[in-house]
Amino acid sequence: MTAHLTFTNVTKRFGKVEVVATPFNLQIARNEFVVFLGPSGCGKTTLMRMIGGLDTPSTEDIRLDGAPVGGPDWRRGMVFQSYSSFPWLTVAENVAFGMRYRTDLSEEEKLGRRDHYLDLVGLYEFSDTYPNRVSGGMRQRIAIARTLAAGSDVLLMDEPFGALDAQRREQLQGELRRIQRRDAKTVVFVTHDVEEAAFLADRVIVFSKRPARIMAEIDVRARLGEDRTLEMRDGADFFALRNEMLRLVRASAGEEP
Amino acid sequence: MGGGFALRDLFRLRAPLPRTVSALIALAASALVLAVWEGVARLGLTNPVFFPAPSAVISAMMRMFADQHLAWNAWVSILRVWSAFLLAAVMAIPIGMMMSAYRAIGAALEPIVDFIRYLPVPALVPLSIIWFGVGEETKIFLLWLGTFFQLVLLVSDDMRRVPQEYIEIAYTVGAKPGQVLKDVAFRAMLPGLVDNLRITLGWCWTYLIIAEIVAADSGLGFVIWAARRYMKTPEVMAGVFLIGIIGLLTDQLLRAAHRRAFRYL
Repeated sequence: MTAHLTFTNVTKRFGKVEVVATPFNLQIARNEFVVFLGPSGCGKTTLMRMIGGLDTPSTEDIRLDGAPVGGPDWRRGMVFQSYSSFPWLTVAENVAFGMRYRTDLSEEEKLGRRDHYLDLVGLYEFSDTYPNRVSGGMRQRIAIARTLAAGSDVLLMDEPFGALDAQRREQLQGELRRIQRRDAKTVVFVTHDVEEAAFLADRVIVFSKRPARIMAEIDVRARLGEDRTLEMRDGADFFALRNEMLRLVRASAGEEP
Repeated sequence: MGGGFALRDLFRLRAPLPRTVSALIALAASALVLAVWEGVARLGLTNPVFFPAPSAVISAMMRMFADQHLAWNAWVSILRVWSAFLLAAVMAIPIGMMMSAYRAIGAALEPIVDFIRYLPVPALVPLSIIWFGVGEETKIFLLWLGTFFQLVLLVSDDMRRVPQEYIEIAYTVGAKPGQVLKDVAFRAMLPGLVDNLRITLGWCWTYLIIAEIVAADSGLGFVIWAARRYMKTPEVMAGVFLIGIIGLLTDQLLRAAHRRAFRYL
């Protein structure tokens, strides 16, 4: 396992507010699915945004393949909870937008990739529809297909399924996990939903309240293996893991920094 | 009248109204106002010098179209409104976007814009005549003055309301700041912008009449003011009516264009 992403002694302040106070260190392996789990407003999103180059650490650095991350680019794609696709573009145009500024791909390659990823997330038949005509779950699929089409090998996801109903959320979690295994992507996924974390992650990082600090690390892969299925969600192993994580989250939310 | 529409739906709170019914009600209400007005005038309840019947206004308007170049005067006014309006829009859109894209530009311009925005345009007529004389420049300047500074702030607000997520999506697929503004921010704010432009265009007519009354020998403002001098009330009303009709038509056209262009909303 080689480190794909490295945080070295990272701290972050917004003015006087310390978001990450204790120097933060973390290594994320290539193709690893890491979930940042913690109470709302704890700073986990800020840490993820710093990977994307949308926020800058106050001290020390974050490296991707050994090079400092710098500003945002297409190698690190972002999926937000809301406003995740552009309403004035059709579904297909939204997916193609991921490659709009890439000059190394020909127009044919772009069209091929667009259709490939539309098909992968099951939206091909909705190509010419506008996002406001499709469900919330489909809109999140558009965003996932866009980042994949862009060629990002790091997917940064900020509670992408937070606004969906339980059934759609389960379905999309399954799809995301399958795509991540198949296309070998490194994923950093932010959530406060314990079950979601347990189902998706190779590794879960549990955060304290702000300023963000690592409370615990859970190697989910060692407990549940690589393949995740809906049936597994009803199993005793999953249930035990979920309860264990729930206790950790409760403890972290209750603890004063 | 389709879709199982029943009469009692008219009196249900926020009940949907079919388009045809809506259009019929609009026509009927306007016709009713005109009929009452006509009746009041015919019965001799008002002095025709002060309050002529709509039929008198319409025949005055026909006469003015035939003998007094009303169409040409209307055209002159429309040209003035649109040239000043387009000038204001072309300047206000980029400046307003910059004001909210770059906080420093906003901080520098906002107090100045706010100050000028509150100056009443009529108060600047004398200054404008000193600067530009009584030609076309004065009219364009006054109209521009009345709309540009309002529009700049509206555009800047539209831009501010573009969700941060859209901007960040663009950055994370490799867009440069200029591309983010052009391909995403501008596109995202466009429906709101077009609405604001439509509303601002209406204000242009207010300032136009002021400008044409003070210093002009053509245009609808001039026609109205000239008719007033001889107490030709039907002609005054005909001029005012024509402005209303032009406004109504323009607004409906722009609304239809808005619906067509932004079908995705």
